[in-house]
Amino acid sequence: MKKLNDVCVIDDDHIFIYGIKRLMKEANFGDDILVYENGKEALNGLRLHSETGKKLPSIIFLDLNMPIMNGWEFLEDLCKINASELDDTVVYIISSSVDPRDLVRIKDYPIVKDYILKPVTANDLEVIQKEKVA
Amino acid sequence: MESLVISSFIKDYPASVVIVNSEMQIIDHSKLWLKELQNTNQSSIGLPLYELINYTSEEFSKCCEECLQGGEITKVIQKLNNPGVNTQWLEWTISPWKEYPGKNNGLIIVKNDITETKRKEELLLKAKSIARIGGWEVDLVANTVHWTQVTKEIHEVPMDYIPNLEEGINFYKEGADRNKITNLVSDAIKDGVPWDTELRIITGKGKELWVRAKGEVEIINNKVVRLYGTFQDIDEKKRVELKYEEVSDRLLIATKVASIGIWDYNIVENTLVWDDNMYALYALKKEDFSGVVEAWESTVHPEDIKPTQEILELAIKGEIEFNTEFRVVWPNGEVRYIKAIAHVIRDSKGEAIKMIGANWDFSKDKMAEKKLKNLLDITSEQNNSLMNFAHIVSHNLRSHSSNLSMLTGFFVEEKDNDEKDRLTKMLCEASESLEETVQHLTEVVQVKTDAIDKMRPVNLYKSIKGVEKNLVVLLKEKNTICKIDVGKNLQINAIPAYIDSILLNLFTNSLKYSSPERSLAIKISAESIGQYTIVTFSDNGLGIDLKRHGDKIFGMYKTFHKHEDAKGIGLFITKNQIESMNGKIEVDSQVDKGTEFQLFFEAIND
Repeated sequence: MKKLNDVCVIDDDHIFIYGIKRLMKEANFGDDILVYENGKEALNGLRLHSETGKKLPSIIFLDLNMPIMNGWEFLEDLCKINASELDDTVVYIISSSVDPRDLVRIKDYPIVKDYILKPVTANDLEVIQKEKVA
Repeated sequence: MESLVISSFIKDYPASVVIVNSEMQIIDHSKLWLKELQNTNQSSIGLPLYELINYTSEEFSKCCEECLQGGEITKVIQKLNNPGVNTQWLEWTISPWKEYPGKNNGLIIVKNDITETKRKEELLLKAKSIARIGGWEVDLVANTVHWTQVTKEIHEVPMDYIPNLEEGINFYKEGADRNKITNLVSDAIKDGVPWDTELRIITGKGKELWVRAKGEVEIINNKVVRLYGTFQDIDEKKRVELKYEEVSDRLLIATKVASIGIWDYNIVENTLVWDDNMYALYALKKEDFSGVVEAWESTVHPEDIKPTQEILELAIKGEIEFNTEFRVVWPNGEVRYIKAIAHVIRDSKGEAIKMIGANWDFSKDKMAEKKLKNLLDITSEQNNSLMNFAHIVSHNLRSHSSNLSMLTGFFVEEKDNDEKDRLTKMLCEASESLEETVQHLTEVVQVKTDAIDKMRPVNLYKSIKGVEKNLVVLLKEKNTICKIDVGKNLQINAIPAYIDSILLNLFTNSLKYSSPERSLAIKISAESIGQYTIVTFSDNGLGIDLKRHGDKIFGMYKTFHKHEDAKGIGLFITKNQIESMNGKIEVDSQVDKGTEFQLFFEAIND
């Protein structure tokens, strides 16, 4: 199976970061994963990434509840990036929130592919991988 | 010669006169006679009268015959129904003439057209009959009573009925009515006082009827000799009037009890009339104002005058119904809510001529409505915050529990001991976080359930000093300068534990988010304005970008700084605590300049 090297995780919970990294490794996602602790860090990081001529990650796992800049604010700013650069990028929201208003709100962002409720499982990653490769 | 003079005199006589001999042949006549009867200038002398005029009645010929036979002067009224022309009334005065005493030689006949008089008389009779006005007369000398036809009709007695004074009075309804007429009649006889009254009679057929009885007196030699007057059937009018009186009495009682003011606006004459209730509604004295418009404008809330006048104009134009409300400011400053409805009355051309309206005070309803709306707002706000709270709780518990389940999953499968140690550490961390979250939730729930009756006077200065003392080490560490500008005796109405908690939170926030570039300065001041004592708590720390975070600053689990102790719970609890003490909190902040909180507490006014 083809490896997905360009994956980005944005979450302030380091236990979750540990967990998803470990699951991705087991699912053969590869170890080259960009990690940011909040939306602002991620935006800065991704901008730098793009300025050095690298492609933006094809998968972004995004938490909603983060200090400084939360997931929604990140999405707002992400959408302002040149659309062609985002052609190959999809966002998966990974959150503990079961608030129906959040589920409605993701529909405003076409870049968001799905909403995954924590805890994330090996099975979730497998599905994502299949979707991406297919 | 004499005959000629007489003849010439008759010719020019200014009436229609004809002289006939015993054979009823015309021997002379006035010019007017000829003109009226024949309409020719030819003399009709010598012609028989009956040949010349063919419309005389039998009564006329009979009278002429009698007169010629030695009768006296007679008058005959004749009604002529000329086809195509209005009815004509003629009055013939037939008088004999004689050359020698004894035998009558002929007749002098004067014709008089009395159509006009007769018509007036007829009209009067008709009018009297239609108006049901009868006449009556009491001759106190001859002791006779006369009633006209209409009077009899009103009494429902036969036309041949002959009344007397006592019987006449007995037609009046027994009791107040009969007593009254008895008094009036006896006063009239005794003192010559006329009367005009409205009373009830019981007719010959037993019907109760309202009549208007007018009486006049004729006095001769200081003695009343005759009573006469009119008698009118006013039953229908009177009953309508009484009914109206009853209704308007009822309405008056109703409007008075319900405090409904009625106004009446004559659009044509531009006059406005208020009933007494209106003045009461506006708490005004009628005598203080020259006009109603002035009174209205002096009392209506200035903001409501123009809109109400606009509605009035639109209502007069017929574009809308006049159904509105406005505020009035009573002379004592109290604001009341007035509900106003009105109906526009129009003439046959649709022009508005009059407007009748009602006003009533619905302040109570308005207050209830306001209170209800307020309650609804509070309820929906609470509902909303409860919902948010539930989602926050669910989110936070879930994030820890999902970490725990994920970690245990790894732990079970993990073979590597170093990795196992790492997992154990993280498991401990996750369970600590869970415990902390539960602790926060407990605090929040406590705020919500703490009773308001725990509020009592709290010395603000002492509270601030107490908290400052507890934080003395931390404050010193940052070289903090605290400027406390609060009266030593200032008291606020609050829950003491909350005040400590709120102050502690604000102090620690200032400490946590102080600028690394300058030493921390905290300023606390207080002032009492109306029902509130406003405490201003400001620092020169990092500040918060309010444009970006303004709506979330008091939210639960919102943090805006990357700080190891940022939990996003403090201000949420602070806000809840202040609100549960009937206060409020406001914030102003500039990034890298500092933050200023304004805390509103219930003031204690001496």
